[in-house]
Amino acid sequence: MNEKPKIAIFKFTGCAGCQLEFLHLEEIFLDILELFDISYWVMVKRDNDETGWDISLVEGGISTPEEIEEIKQIRMKTKFLVAFGDCAIGGCIPSIRNWTPQLDAESQVYRDTSVIQSTKVFGIGEYVKVDAILKGCPAHRDTIVELLKSALLEIRPRLRQHPVCVECKFRDNACLITSKKMACMGPVTSAGCGAICPSLGRECEGCFGPMSNPNTSALASIFKDLGFNEKDIKRKFRKYAGMSPEFRKEAGH
Amino acid sequence: MNSYNIEKKDMNILLDRFLEDYKVFGPTRPGADSTFDEITSIKQLHLDYTSTVLPPKKFFHPPKETLFSFELKNDKFTTKESIQDKKILILGIHPCDVHAILKLDKFFSTDFSDTYYQNRRKNTVLVAINCVEPSEHSFCSSMGTGPYLDEGYDILLTDIGTKYLVEIGSKTGQKLVEGVNLRKATETDFHEKERRLKLMEKKIKKFMNTTWLPRIARENLDHEVWLDLGEHGGVDGSFPCLSCGSCSLVCPTCYCYDVYDTMDLSLISGTRNRELDSCQLLEYGEVALGDNFRRDRKDRIRHWMLCKFGAAAGGKNSSCVGCGRCIRVCPSKIDLTEVAKVIRGGKQR
Ligand code: SF4
Ligand code: SF4
Ligand code: SF4
Ligand code: SF4
Ligand code: SF4
Repeated sequence: MNEKPKIAIFKFTGCAGCQLEFLHLEEIFLDILELFDISYWVMVKRDNDETGWDISLVEGGISTPEEIEEIKQIRMKTKFLVAFGDCAIGGCIPSIRNWTPQLDAESQVYRDTSVIQSTKVFGIGEYVKVDAILKGCPAHRDTIVELLKSALLEIRPRLRQHPVCVECKFRDNACLITSKKMACMGPVTSAGCGAICPSLGRECEGCFGPMSNPNTSALASIFKDLGFNEKDIKRKFRKYAGMSPEFRKEAGH
Repeated sequence: MNSYNIEKKDMNILLDRFLEDYKVFGPTRPGADSTFDEITSIKQLHLDYTSTVLPPKKFFHPPKETLFSFELKNDKFTTKESIQDKKILILGIHPCDVHAILKLDKFFSTDFSDTYYQNRRKNTVLVAINCVEPSEHSFCSSMGTGPYLDEGYDILLTDIGTKYLVEIGSKTGQKLVEGVNLRKATETDFHEKERRLKLMEKKIKKFMNTTWLPRIARENLDHEVWLDLGEHGGVDGSFPCLSCGSCSLVCPTCYCYDVYDTMDLSLISGTRNRELDSCQLLEYGEVALGDNFRRDRKDRIRHWMLCKFGAAAGGKNSSCVGCGRCIRVCPSKIDLTEVAKVIRGGKQR
């Protein structure tokens, strides 16, 4: 390898949790630095190189006109653009506000709404071409590493999009829907977390976003059958990926 | 082969004998959501369980395993096999699950010999137990796999009241009980076994007519039930399939797997891994460049059921043994015995 590939990490409308997940690669962080030149990362570096990057990991959704311009600039200077985490993919939790009229949402936070300009929250794919996505809220560190390694080896990363139920069964868990009548989002949610929540007896909230081909209407009918009302069900689908084409209908569009 | 009996309260003597030579695994909870876990004391053992989440398949064909590691150094490529030869004993395995293992044995030895499976399998002792209390979902009597066993075990237990009847099925089994002070089984013990098993058969409420089933299934590839299961209303109170894969991941005769490599960050070494897969999952049928042989949900659930009906390539090696796990675990309440009735034509949707 001649020169190390340059990586940039950006933050838009999100919580910085995905960036933190990257930092939490502690034990292999130095190995990563052997392989890559992290040339732009405002959260951890003083000097940042803005000339262009091989890989840009973009965290956060797009919620202001300035952000729209910025993401377009980043796209132009990037070879390989990654939507890093659910916010960048489809807006995630910040996008819950899209179901409230714009002015109502703004005035809940700002006394004088004339000072801010915001748009509905969308993933970056709404405005620019995205080359890869890393699901999760936050994205899981193993998937970050898998993606970076694959980029170096120029192979397709193994990021299976099957449901959380697969990982849940791998862990020998009794099913919370069938055994406990709990409203678990596992059957429509992408794996990648290792089924952390069901393994602790808590229903999956759907934080990895939609799996490859979720049957959302079937799961919504199952929840209804378990005694949940329409409002509860809508909330479940809105929480992490309400703007996704897969969840949009059940989220109440 | 020899037969003995042992008072239930003395089971710890037998367990201690097993523990001398083996790591012992058994059901650790009562009910249908039990799991096979390591047993070190009799208190942990629940032979009164009705079913487990994962079948004992997990000991031979685990959900995830490393097959070997590899390294490319100074232009030399080396591999290192990971050999699993721990001696284990599975205690309290039900007849349907023993039959499932016999099927897996065939699959992993007939057309090709799977070292990884066989290494584990040959180091395992099976101490089975006949069922005296069925789970509400099991239909082993229809499949000829239960509720009692006559092959495949090293030792077979039957609950006959305050005692277990202990039947020996192999030399390994015989060796294991030698030195343990067991009484010879009496004729009364066998009568009691007979009586209880007959009673047990009456308690089974689920059936599947298997006559010509593979053929009927193959002739009904265009039946509307598949679209119903895939997209519409399901069958008999069920919901449409979620493609969650749970049914096949808990199925004791589903053997399909995915193999992939994981590179270390050194980029010169890594591991080759194997993971359970399921034909219910979209990516199962995906090939290079992203095409997919089974993109539609209806085609996937159809394939799954056909395979379980013995009508797919796996034939008898992957067909159902009636353990009922897939029915219990399906969030959509899909029941293959109901689907079998529908394609047979004897039942309206
Ligand atoms: S508990 Fe949730 S994730 Fe686990 S199998 Fe059931 S539905 Fe799937
Ligand atoms: S189980 Fe669901 S909510 Fe929990 S971490 Fe995994 S994807 Fe997120
Ligand atoms: S198909 Fe269902 S009932 Fe039959 S062996 Fe598999 S899990 Fe058990
Ligand atoms: S093809 Fe057969 S054995 Fe394989 S996962 Fe599907 S049903 Fe199971
Ligand atoms: S468990 Fe039920 S819903 Fe899930 S894939 Fe199997 S049949 Fe479909």
